[in-house]
Amino acid sequence: MNRRAFLRTTGVALGAVALAGLPVRAQGLEGEDLANLEKALQAALGKGFKDLTPSNLIKLTMPAIAESGANVPAEVEVDLPSSQVKAIHLFADKNPTPHLVVIMPMKALPYYATRVRLAETSAIRAVVETADGKFLLASASTRVTVGGCG
Amino acid sequence: MPIRTIVRLTPAKPKAGENFKLQVVAQHPNEPGTRRDAEGKIIPAKYINQVEIYFEGEKVAEAKPGPSTSANPLYGFMFKAEKAGTFTVKLKDTDGDTGEGTVKLELA
Repeated sequence: MNRRAFLRTTGVALGAVALAGLPVRAQGLEGEDLANLEKALQAALGKGFKDLTPSNLIKLTMPAIAESGANVPAEVEVDLPSSQVKAIHLFADKNPTPHLVVIMPMKALPYYATRVRLAETSAIRAVVETADGKFLLASASTRVTVGGCG
Repeated sequence: MPIRTIVRLTPAKPKAGENFKLQVVAQHPNEPGTRRDAEGKIIPAKYINQVEIYFEGEKVAEAKPGPSTSANPLYGFMFKAEKAGTFTVKLKDTDGDTGEGTVKLELA
């Protein structure tokens, strides 16, 4: 192989890698750990990450940066009637126990606010279990300077 | 030991049909069981794992927090104001300690 042919083939290969890699990186959240999350999802819902449908009906509010992971405010609001929301779950990918909380709104509006501990910079997930058996997902990411789980 | 529980409504006197928040603050270390003390020993887990909200004796909302809730936790719920009455919040932790707080809902 001469120099020109080598450059052409490697160039094409590199370009392909860059094209394939970019969209994934653009979508990926900071502090994402699907392997750890998957176990918690299976334990809590009996469903995997692939069974969740990303939805705009869920508004998950997390700070972009938290100085201390010991006390991070989290707020979730669901744009659905209460009767259609069976449960709201919160997960943090990187926590030793990723399942943060489950809320059964019953007569309350589908809203929940709390303060959570984050072990390190992590993606946070809000999963809404609807009355007709669907699982809706919203994600956010918080960068943590000092961890809160030890 | 009972858990000190404070409950408040925002706004304090909502109008009929208006949404209001019910916020619960508890005085609790909420140890996740993964932290170590100064000697390097693991601090045993002790956290609130049950929050129940009752309105006039009827259960209206429930949350089951895991170990990753911060110390002196806050739990916020939202309701629609329909009629006046009393909210009772019942907390329980992993050791079986309980806390209770009440707040009266008055309509403006």
